[in-house]
Amino acid sequence: MSNAPAGDIATQPAAATHSHRFVVMLRRLPWGRIGMPLVLIAMAVFFGTINPNFWSVTNLTNVSRQISVLALISIGQTFAILSAGIDLSVGSLLALVSVACAQGMLEFGLVGGIVVGVLAGCLAGLVNGILIAKARIPAFIATLGMLVAARGLALTLSGGLPIAGLPHEFLFIGAGYLGPFPVPSVIAAVAFVVAYVLLSRTRFGRYVYAMGSNEEAAVLSGINVVKYKIMVYVVSGLFAGIAGVVLTSRVISGQPTLGEVQELYSIAAVVIGGGKITGGVGGIGRTLMGVLVLGMLSNGLNLIQVSSYVQNIVVGAIIIIAVYIDLARERRR
Amino acid sequence: MNRRSVLQTMLAGTAAVAFRFGPAQAEGADDYARPAKPAKPYTIGVLLPQLSNPHFVGQAYGYIDEAEKLGVKVIMFDAGGYQYLDRQISQIEDLIASKVDAIIIVAVNGPGTADAVDRAVAAGIPVVNCNVMTGSDKVVTRVRSDDEIIGQMQADFMGQALKNEGKVVMLRGAPGTSWAENRGNSFKKRLIEKFPKVTVVGEQYSQSTPADGLKLMEDFLQTFPQIDGAYNGADTTAIGAAQAVLAAGRAGKVTITATDFQVDTEKFIRDGVMSATVAQQTVIIGRWGVRAAVNCLEKRDVPKALWTPLLLVSAANVNNLDLGTLRAPTGWKPPIG
Repeated sequence: MSNAPAGDIATQPAAATHSHRFVVMLRRLPWGRIGMPLVLIAMAVFFGTINPNFWSVTNLTNVSRQISVLALISIGQTFAILSAGIDLSVGSLLALVSVACAQGMLEFGLVGGIVVGVLAGCLAGLVNGILIAKARIPAFIATLGMLVAARGLALTLSGGLPIAGLPHEFLFIGAGYLGPFPVPSVIAAVAFVVAYVLLSRTRFGRYVYAMGSNEEAAVLSGINVVKYKIMVYVVSGLFAGIAGVVLTSRVISGQPTLGEVQELYSIAAVVIGGGKITGGVGGIGRTLMGVLVLGMLSNGLNLIQVSSYVQNIVVGAIIIIAVYIDLARERRR
Repeated sequence: MNRRSVLQTMLAGTAAVAFRFGPAQAEGADDYARPAKPAKPYTIGVLLPQLSNPHFVGQAYGYIDEAEKLGVKVIMFDAGGYQYLDRQISQIEDLIASKVDAIIIVAVNGPGTADAVDRAVAAGIPVVNCNVMTGSDKVVTRVRSDDEIIGQMQADFMGQALKNEGKVVMLRGAPGTSWAENRGNSFKKRLIEKFPKVTVVGEQYSQSTPADGLKLMEDFLQTFPQIDGAYNGADTTAIGAAQAVLAAGRAGKVTITATDFQVDTEKFIRDGVMSATVAQQTVIIGRWGVRAAVNCLEKRDVPKALWTPLLLVSAANVNNLDLGTLRAPTGWKPPIG
């Protein structure tokens, strides 16, 4: 523009240059950072206008409670995807943990049951990790096998039937409040903070990104990829274990049919937030955005009485659009 | 004989125990009267387990049509399947947030929904429980068919058809639901009491879909060389079981009994592949649910239990039925998914 002959600029109408500058300014905004929050605000305004109940304290606390389980397994999924892997088993792990937690609770009491549940998740994650890191089975396949086997194990242990009779104190985790906040939301919030610190401030976290960006380079730089990969999947199993305990409390029974399809939503959350499915790019904050989008969408569409079938179409479209926008921005750079 | 008197004769045979309304006994299909139209247009949230099952389409028609006649509004949610317990709990919470006047719930799971229902009641929203029972004891009333009777009716038919000797398998239906539990247990108990030489060689729970019934029956046919009868908690699995029996070339040799009366069940009974079904009056379940909710909101007394009538359908009477209370009108679609 500065090279153009002065005459041209003088003859252009003033409005054109203003709008041109505006577009340039728009382009320069850090969309990577503010894109998702803007989408969230737009959604909130949209839903809130059609049904003001959206803004009610009851509804907002409901949403935060309802997305807690997805939030927890999405945290674990973030670690797996960042390391250029994936954990397809988290949905089935919810069921396995639920059954283990419930049966453990009937035998060992409230705390014992919770411990058994979380341990079951960690153990399954350990198996995943060993299969992937040591036996070198591709993560997709190993966790796919675990998806099927864990569901089968949950059904076997429970005989296919729900396990009821859990102590009513257990309800505190799923339905209780800490001040104005639902307990599951507090658990998820704490988990997010811990995971953020793990991923961005510890060596483990740096190695996860390294393995995800370029595993060969990571190996050649002396990183014990086997050990850290196993840790990644144990972490995923751990968060699935916590999520499973929260979910079991919400339904106050051990249920072997829980968690169907949830692994796909956890992957969607990571990807909508901007994480790359091939690994190395993404983060806990991004996943949080993805979880909020999914949660707000489901709640909002319910409140404006859109059928749950249409909701599925919307979520599918959003996954594709979010990834497309991300790819388009990258190509332009 | 006209349709109505044939219907009444069939009902008379089972009405003695099939239909109860408080302490009195009564016959006839629709005995819980429609209340007067309320002054206020209440909003009632209705929660269903599985709209892909035509049984619930019949109920949905009952809820919606009755609501129209009473001038109240119905918001309907579908959990999408008996395994989506978390989704139904989220739907209950969303209804509480939407501040509906009353909730009618067909629970996907007994113990799992108990706490969420308690919370709705604590928030001042009365809950009517229809068809599949929730573990909560704070519901206003329970509107359902008598599962005990359903199991007995299937056992009686099976025992007689097998001439008191044979091997049967059970496709019990969705785990964790009151209907799968109660009907199956009642069936087994009745066999032991009245038809001791009819033995149950295999029983399994499964999701309540034809695909699950098909797979389960195929596995049963592989496992057991001799199967004379198949009990089904719901007709969704029975349709799959019928297909499995057809494919194995044993149509007519296996006595298949079920509950509910969707279009495919009717077709299989006419073709002789299925032998009998205990038809629930799905539209009546829906109507009574709304009536109970409105009565409760208008501060009238509501009986703690409302038993809806049952009807045994077989080749003998399949041509003489009044479908008005058994199914939604042909071509009617529920307004949402």
